[in-house]
Amino acid sequence: MENGLEKKYIELNMGPQHPSTHGVLRLKLLLDGETVKHVEPVIGYLHRNAEKICELDYYCDSLIYFDRMDYVAAMNMEIGYLEAAEKLLAIEPTERVKWIRVVMAELGRIASHLVWAGAFGLDLGMLTPFFYFFEEREKILNIFTEVSGSRQETNYMSIGGVYQDFNDKIIYKIREFLKQFPKKLEEAYSLFVKNDIFISRTKGIGILEPEVALSYGVTGPMLRASGVPYDVRKDAPYLVYDKLNFDIPISKGKDVLSRFIVRFEEMRQSVKIVQQALDKIPDGPYFNPKAKKSLMIRLRGEGDVYARTESPKGEFGVHLIGDGTVKPYRVHVRSPSFKNLSILPYLSRDVLIADMVAISGSIDLVFGEVDR
Amino acid sequence: MSYEVREEAGKDGRKILRIPKENLLELMKDLKGQGYDHLALITAVDYRDRIELVYHLERSSTNFEILTVKTDVNDSTVDSVTSLWESANWDEREQYDMMGLVFRGHPDLKRILLPEGWVGYPLRKDYDLSKTQYVNMDDEGNDRVSFDPGDGW
Repeated sequence: MENGLEKKYIELNMGPQHPSTHGVLRLKLLLDGETVKHVEPVIGYLHRNAEKICELDYYCDSLIYFDRMDYVAAMNMEIGYLEAAEKLLAIEPTERVKWIRVVMAELGRIASHLVWAGAFGLDLGMLTPFFYFFEEREKILNIFTEVSGSRQETNYMSIGGVYQDFNDKIIYKIREFLKQFPKKLEEAYSLFVKNDIFISRTKGIGILEPEVALSYGVTGPMLRASGVPYDVRKDAPYLVYDKLNFDIPISKGKDVLSRFIVRFEEMRQSVKIVQQALDKIPDGPYFNPKAKKSLMIRLRGEGDVYARTESPKGEFGVHLIGDGTVKPYRVHVRSPSFKNLSILPYLSRDVLIADMVAISGSIDLVFGEVDR
Repeated sequence: MSYEVREEAGKDGRKILRIPKENLLELMKDLKGQGYDHLALITAVDYRDRIELVYHLERSSTNFEILTVKTDVNDSTVDSVTSLWESANWDEREQYDMMGLVFRGHPDLKRILLPEGWVGYPLRKDYDLSKTQYVNMDDEGNDRVSFDPGDGW
């Protein structure tokens, strides 16, 4: 350097207890003034090795560990595991169960995106929208309480069925929610997009090209905001998604703002899906008699399957291997947040610390799932 | 093609390719050339006498159809595919962490979920679950792992 001075970067440790890291993410930053030169995410603070625990349990018991992976969208995690387990154990859920699961998955997706939007607002210094979103989310959690008995970690589904059937009260509650939700959503949406500060903090920040996103294994709204229309619900339909009419929103903006807009459009699509599904739910049993409760721990499976589902964060895959006994031989989970987080060092090169917070907020991290 | 691929069908109708470990990188390069631009995940299964390494690939041009590549590893070393897909970086670190597989040519192979000093590889079948390990931090801020209960938090 000139004047014989040496240029030195500052090392800064952000997290694991920091309000804007969404849980227990630790970031080792290398700073030049306010500019981030390098960032290294350190993860594993919430690691419980759910994969090993699942190996030690019966097929039906593993479900509760999946609830605790993405703990804000437990319903979607359960479906992810059951898609794999039902294929391996050759137990088909009944037709009514498939429709019930779709309703629950889409409500879970809305709840998860609401939490994300609220927390994202907090990252950017907006306190008010958080309360709007959490009020709406609480209504969904009330529906979950009605069907399963608990708010977040629902443990509602089981192999081949669900814990309890839909009754009139549950359907009435869901319809009541859907009636008022779209208006509230648009109200909260305008709080963001009509705010100049929000637009200037998000537009053009964290540009992610589609080729890079694919190479890093990024999926979900992150990938769709970069213009790649990949959604497992459309590309490899599971449950009854092929009988429903909905669109996959994509954006060409590739930045933080377009990830925000894509997630909001997804919520509107989810409302559409729930409405259709409620109208179409057929009558029938709510569990498969081959997997009734007394038989549950005697289910055996052999072979290996890989099932993917669309969780709110992206492609949630479960690789399940059975060796013919009552316990799985190996369970591996492809958690979308884990892959999406790996792009943070790439996106955070030469940006301001405040922009890095916006970028890490736009990834939608849930640490139960990253660390598993 | 200078290598032999065995093709089989999975229980759920997936196409599975089996390849000897020596030709893995070569096959992966060819598959990347055929348009498989998305490496969904890398996982490994411990069969006691060998470790089976599993790659799930997806192709964006054909609706993300899935292709599985399997290879057997006997001596814990295998070629890294980080040069082809960036996502292999964290996946291979995870398999190093959990299964003890060493990936040749990986830019930064270290544990990802567990602290650096952890003893053993938890997802191996011979891992001793009865021994508790305690994690603490030394004065420099580095993780320290020991079997002494007094050393924990």
